[in-house]
Amino acid sequence: MNKQYYSETYIPSIIKWGKLTMLLGILTSFLPALVVSVVFGHMPPVSAIIAGTISQISVSGAFYVVEPISYFPILGIPGTYLTFLSGNTSNMRVPCSSVAQEAAGVEMGTDKGSVISTIGIAVSILVNIAILTVGAVGGNVIISAMPEGLKAALNFLLPALYGAVFGQFAIARPKLAGVAVVIAFGMNWLLKNNFLSFFPGTPSYVVILVAVFGSIFAGRLIYKKELQD
Amino acid sequence: MKESTNYLELANSPLMWLAAAVAVGVVVIQSVVFFRKSLKAAKELEIPKEQVNTAIKSSAIASIGPAVVILVTMISLIVSMGAPISWMRLSFIGSVNYEAMAAGFGAQAMGTTLEKLDPVAFSCGVWVMICGSLGWLIFTLLFTDKMHKVNHLMSKGNAKMVPIISAGAMLGAFANLASGNFFSAEGNFAFGGAPAIATVVGCILMMVLSKLAKDKKVNWLREWAFAISMFSGMFIGYLWSMAA
Repeated sequence: MNKQYYSETYIPSIIKWGKLTMLLGILTSFLPALVVSVVFGHMPPVSAIIAGTISQISVSGAFYVVEPISYFPILGIPGTYLTFLSGNTSNMRVPCSSVAQEAAGVEMGTDKGSVISTIGIAVSILVNIAILTVGAVGGNVIISAMPEGLKAALNFLLPALYGAVFGQFAIARPKLAGVAVVIAFGMNWLLKNNFLSFFPGTPSYVVILVAVFGSIFAGRLIYKKELQD
Repeated sequence: MKESTNYLELANSPLMWLAAAVAVGVVVIQSVVFFRKSLKAAKELEIPKEQVNTAIKSSAIASIGPAVVILVTMISLIVSMGAPISWMRLSFIGSVNYEAMAAGFGAQAMGTTLEKLDPVAFSCGVWVMICGSLGWLIFTLLFTDKMHKVNHLMSKGNAKMVPIISAGAMLGAFANLASGNFFSAEGNFAFGGAPAIATVVGCILMMVLSKLAKDKKVNWLREWAFAISMFSGMFIGYLWSMAA
């Protein structure tokens, strides 16, 4: 087995391509705006763009930093590039990363885990784009052909997905799962009852940070013994 | 009135499709390049071919459900922003909540709403969608290759610590995402709602099935456990909502 391959060949070339594609992504994402503004001649006042963007930053600003850092222990370097270019982090990328690793029987955070996770995420992106392309082109025809019952039922897919991802890890580390639930539910209770309103903006970013890093810290305490052997 | 119906012709014009397709193309290229590099790395790390195939299959199976949910919600965005932009944004950094909000902020800055767009307000919505999501792209562009230092700091260089950090991050993140289903609108705990039932069923079923698959070494179950849990949870949650 070529142990150096991962750190000396794979990761450096992923970083090179990752930076290149992120940069290309940033540049090409402006194309539709340029088409409307320059080709079609409907340029909004810059002040309006700035005002709208500031409104958005006041909601999302903290997440630009909190999300990549919180999910990094799961996604690794290649998965982080893939996930934050393609979006749909918690409803698709992270679940597919962990499902792929669980099914292949590799351990998270290891070199093998990272490679399998990357394969899983890339597959989920391609499936997502394929389905959305069919949907965007076929549009309303497909949606109206869908039975009403199915559309109503799909409202419950994400709750079940969150439960299933949690369950996958809970079975391996039940004690830590219990602690994570207490932290997450406690923090959300504080948030919903306005006990966190002394933080600026909508403080749900505080809840994510405490839930993720609190659980990591709890894991260190709970599994101290395991680490000493 | 003529103006306000007109903008959708621009929004759905071939040139918009082309511009959106270039951006989506970058995402596809990135995925394909990373996929091929990872296949090669898997070979170098001597991960058996069957294991790699299992990973591909299980991820594809798990992707279908969420992708259909995104598809359904994409339609609501298409109504106000047109198909090409909606398609690009949801293949890109986006999520429906974010995109609808960003487009709304853009419209608001032009003194209107998503229901009453004119070409300039539509254009402003597109600009804000893009500018508002730059933060994620720029942060990832600049810092991804340095983030392992955060991991290193937490593991203190102990390799055995790494899987525990991942499990902690995962359990914390998804306990937090799931917890929204266990609160009433007033901020009290509520365990009997249909989304709560869907979450609990998905969780318990996944625990049972993944333990079964591991202990009895049932390979097909490893691939399907997640999809079965997810769809069963959804179905039972739906039935519960009908009964309630």
